Amino acid sequence: MLRWLLFFITVALGLAAGLYYGWVINPVEYVNTTPDSLRADYKADYVLMVAESYNANDDLNLAVQRLALLGDTPPAEVVANAILFAVKNNYNQADLALMQQLADAIQTMNPALEGPQP
Amino acid sequence: MRNEQRGPWYLLTGLVIGVVFGLIYAWRISPVKYVDTSPATLRDDFKDQYRVLIAAAFSMDGDLPRAQARLNLLNDPDMASAVALQAQRALAEGHPAEESHELGLLAIALSQGVVITEQPGRSTPSKPSPGSALTVTPTFPPVPGSSTPTSPGATPVPPVSPTAPMTPYPTFTLMPSRTPTPTAGAPFVLKKAPTLVCDPTVKQPLIMVEAWDASGLPVPGVEVIVNWTGGEDHFFTGLKPEYGLGYGDFLMTPSVTYSLHLAEGGEPVSGLTTTDCETASGDRYPGSWKLVFAQP
Repeated sequence: MLRWLLFFITVALGLAAGLYYGWVINPVEYVNTTPDSLRADYKADYVLMVAESYNANDDLNLAVQRLALLGDTPPAEVVANAILFAVKNNYNQADLALMQQLADAIQTMNPALEGPQP
Repeated sequence: MRNEQRGPWYLLTGLVIGVVFGLIYAWRISPVKYVDTSPATLRDDFKDQYRVLIAAAFSMDGDLPRAQARLNLLNDPDMASAVALQAQRALAEGHPAEESHELGLLAIALSQGVVITEQPGRSTPSKPSPGSALTVTPTFPPVPGSSTPTSPGATPVPPVSPTAPMTPYPTFTLMPSRTPTPTAGAPFVLKKAPTLVCDPTVKQPLIMVEAWDASGLPVPGVEVIVNWTGGEDHFFTGLKPEYGLGYGDFLMTPSVTYSLHLAEGGEPVSGLTTTDCETASGDRYPGSWKLVFAQP
């Protein structure tokens, strides 16, 4: 009985040692991440930059390609989420207008004619 | 008795089992998911794309503090150099000219602290002054100037409603933009004949080009096309701001004769080839050619 008790205590110690090592001594360092893992505020700013760029060059394909870096979420949803965040965090009216302009363009985009090229 | 003969190995077994289960849990059952990361952790190629976007946005709004705030997120030791190097790399790798141009303009603005924008046709949304009241309705009424649905079946963006809890993260301080100042001017002309530059500190033979405007100020972003038998290359002024906003250079290969002209036209220059210089002690080193183009 004592042996089993010691055995399980050792297992628990092993787990604890592993967690201590992984969380305290050598915690995970985030490197080589992808844009889809960005925090919501960074994503919103990313979308804003895409919107600013779109406003300048009117290249919707390029804008959609850039938004695609934010993951598998459809571009329209990515922009809608960013607008939500922007509204909630009091982005200025001009920035909101740019994002809305991009959202409008994506909504009315004809994928057959303007879809992103591989 | 038999148990005592086994010794303490079972403890080691327990430890190994604990670690194995820990790893199985950490790697298979609940592996690390990267969420809520910052741009500083992005892979290098994504950081490049992030810089391209920052430069594109900067070329639109001319808002240098905002561009700097965004670049700060990438934790580059020297953001101006990082952008300038990327501009040169983009040029060398044949990326769209607009990309290297925008990166170059941003690099110049960062190193000089000035905004030089040369897209007079671009629209710049007016921004409210800092601290001005913002009234936003969640249904997003049509924005003046925004694109209008062209097909009858097209519908505007549906009203967005909060469906997921949003965490209020700290965001950037949005700064008012500067007004872009278009650079207009006549075509460049070669101001004087190519000059051989003998500078022992320049170790390689270069074609150095400077572009000035009519008032003698350096002009960045001027595209220069270099031709030689069987080849052609392009470079822009302003990508090495440490030598001046209007400066650009091209590395010559010995025994090759080059001709050069500005992309927007103007007088071509031909017969440029490597020429040696000599120090007082008789040592020879490659000289460089300097060409100055100016707007009349």
